[in-house]
Amino acid sequence: MKRPRPDRSARYDEEVVPLRLYGLGRGTVVGLTALCALFAIFTLIPIVWIAINSTKTQANLLGSFGFWFASPFRFFHNFGMLFQNVDGEGIYFRWFLNTALYAIAGGVGATLFATLAGYGFARFHFRGSTALFYFVIAALLVPVTAIAYPLYLVYSRIGLINSIWGMILPSMVAPVGVYLMKTFIEASVPRELIDAARVDGAGEIKIFYRLALPLMKPGLMTVLLISIVAVWNNYFLPFIIFSQNRIFPLTVGIGVWATRAQNAGDERVFPLIVMGGLVTIIPLMLIFLVIQKYWKSGMLVGAVVE
Amino acid sequence: MSTLAIRRPAVRSRRSSWAQRRDRRGLWFVVPFTLLFLAFLAAPLGYAAYESLFRDQLIGGRSYVGLANYHAALHDGTFWSGVWHVALFGAIQIPLMLAIAFFFAAIFDLGVARFGPFWRAIFFLPFAVPAVVASVMWNFLLEPSFGPFTHFAGFLGFPNTDFFSPGLIWPTIVVIVIWEWTGYNMIILYTALRSVPRSVVEAAVLDGASLFKVITRVKLPMVRPAIVMLVFLNVIGALQLFVEPQILGDFYPTAISNHFTPTIYIYNQGIAGQEYGIASATAVMLAIVIIFISASVLLLTRWRRHA
Repeated sequence: MKRPRPDRSARYDEEVVPLRLYGLGRGTVVGLTALCALFAIFTLIPIVWIAINSTKTQANLLGSFGFWFASPFRFFHNFGMLFQNVDGEGIYFRWFLNTALYAIAGGVGATLFATLAGYGFARFHFRGSTALFYFVIAALLVPVTAIAYPLYLVYSRIGLINSIWGMILPSMVAPVGVYLMKTFIEASVPRELIDAARVDGAGEIKIFYRLALPLMKPGLMTVLLISIVAVWNNYFLPFIIFSQNRIFPLTVGIGVWATRAQNAGDERVFPLIVMGGLVTIIPLMLIFLVIQKYWKSGMLVGAVVE
Repeated sequence: MSTLAIRRPAVRSRRSSWAQRRDRRGLWFVVPFTLLFLAFLAAPLGYAAYESLFRDQLIGGRSYVGLANYHAALHDGTFWSGVWHVALFGAIQIPLMLAIAFFFAAIFDLGVARFGPFWRAIFFLPFAVPAVVASVMWNFLLEPSFGPFTHFAGFLGFPNTDFFSPGLIWPTIVVIVIWEWTGYNMIILYTALRSVPRSVVEAAVLDGASLFKVITRVKLPMVRPAIVMLVFLNVIGALQLFVEPQILGDFYPTAISNHFTPTIYIYNQGIAGQEYGIASATAVMLAIVIIFISASVLLLTRWRRHA
C-alpha cells in the first residue's frame, strides 16, 4: 500500500511550524520565495538558452532574439548533423561513447577500489594501516587536474599518450571516495555483525560481499555519482594526453570545435557546438533526477566534516 | 589443575595470532587502491619532482640544474601575474558564492520560502554541466555583438559593453564560476544545517531570537566545519582554474594571456612551449600547496571536533 498523502502532509507541517514560531509575515515568505525564483532564473537562463537555440540555423543563432524560437525550426536537422561527417564520420557520437566509457569505467573502478579500501581501513587493523591511511588522506583534496601534467610526463616516457588507459586508470584513484566510504562504513556496518559472521565461519570475502556490501549501498551510490560526474566533466587530463580526435571525450571535442569556430572562421560549427553541448548535459541531468535521493541524502562531502 | 594452567596461555596466544592473521587479510582490501594510488598519483608527482631538477636544451642536451627551474619560475613575472589573478579571483568569488549558498541553504533549512525542494533541485542542475559547455553557453550569452546580455546592458544604458574586455573578463569568470558551483555548495551547507538539532533552534526561538539571529548566531556557528571545508575546497578549485579561461581564450585571445592562471602557465610552458623543467617545477609547487591545504583541512576539522 502506498501512502503518499500522509507523508506529504507531515512534511508540510514540519515546514510550516517554524514559520509560525518566527512570527514571520506573509510578506517575508513571499519576498524570500521571490529571491529563490530570481536565483532560479539566473540558474536556468543558460540551460533554457541552449535548449531554445539548439533549434536554430547558424544565421538565426547570431541574428535572432536569444530567448525565443525563430523559423526555420532546425532541431532535428541539427541533431542529425551530429551524426554526419565533421572531423570524421559521426565523430560526435564516437566522443559520446568515449565519454560514457571513460565515465563508467573510471567511476565504477573508483567506487570499487574506494569501497574495498574504505572497508579495509574501517574494519581491519593490520601493521601500518593507520600510517597508510594518513598517507592516502594527505592527497584527499588533490584533484586529477593537479596531477595531469605529472601524468603527461610519465605517459610520454612509457607510451601512454593517446591510450584510453591513460585516461581511465587515474580516474579510478579517488582518495576522497576512500575517506567517504571509511566514514560511512564506520557509521553503518556494525563491527559486531562482522564478528558474529566470523564466528559462524564465514570467509572474509563472503562477509564483505553478502553482509557489508548491502549496508554500504547509499554511501556507494554517492561515491559512484561523484566519480562519474568528475570523469564526465574532466577536461584538462584528456586535453593534454590525447591528440587523436577519435579517442576524445565530449568535453575536449567541444573545446576543439570552439577553437575551430574561432580560429578557422568556420562559423558553420556554431549550431553543432550548441546541439553538442545540449546532448552532453542531458544524460547527467537525467541521472541526477533518477537518483535524487542519494545526492539529497547529503553524503556528498558532508560526511567529511561530520 | 596443572593442565588447565598450561592450556590457558596457549589458548590466548593462539587466539590473538588468529586475530592478527585475520586482520592481516584486511591488507588485501586495501592493496588494489594503494597500487593505483602509488602508480597514478604518488609516482607521477615524484617523477615531476625529479624532472624539475633538469633542463633540456637544444644545444648541450639534458643537464642537472638543481633548483634553478624553481628559481626561474619564482622569478618569472608572468607566473606571479597568474598567481595574483587567481588569488584576487578567489578572494572575491569564494566569499560571494558561499554567502549566496549559505543564504539559500538557511532559507531551505528553515522552510521559510515556498517550494523549497523545487528550487533546491534547480539550483543543483549546473553541477551536471561540464565547465566546457558552461563556458560555451556563457560565451554566446555575453558575446559582444549578438549576445542577449550585451543587448540587455545596452537597454539599461551601457551600450557596447564587452564582457570579455581585459577590464571585465575577471568579473565575467566570477559570474560563470558562481553559476557552476553555488548549487553544489548550497547542497552541502543545507545537509550540514539539517544535522543541527531542531530542539536547539526551537529553544532559541522561544527565547525570542529573530530569524536573522537564529541564522547568524545559532545555525552559522554549528556548520562552521562545513564552511571551513568548503572554503578550502574552493581555494583549491580557484588555484587550478583552467577550463573557463582556456575556452574563452579561444574566442577572445587578447583578453586571456598564456599565463592567465598558474595551470594555463603550466600548460603553455610544458606542452605548448616544451619547457618541461619549469612546468614540472610549477606543477610540483602547485601540488605541494594543494596537499598542504588538504592536510590542514583535516587537522582543522579534527581539531574542532575535539575542541
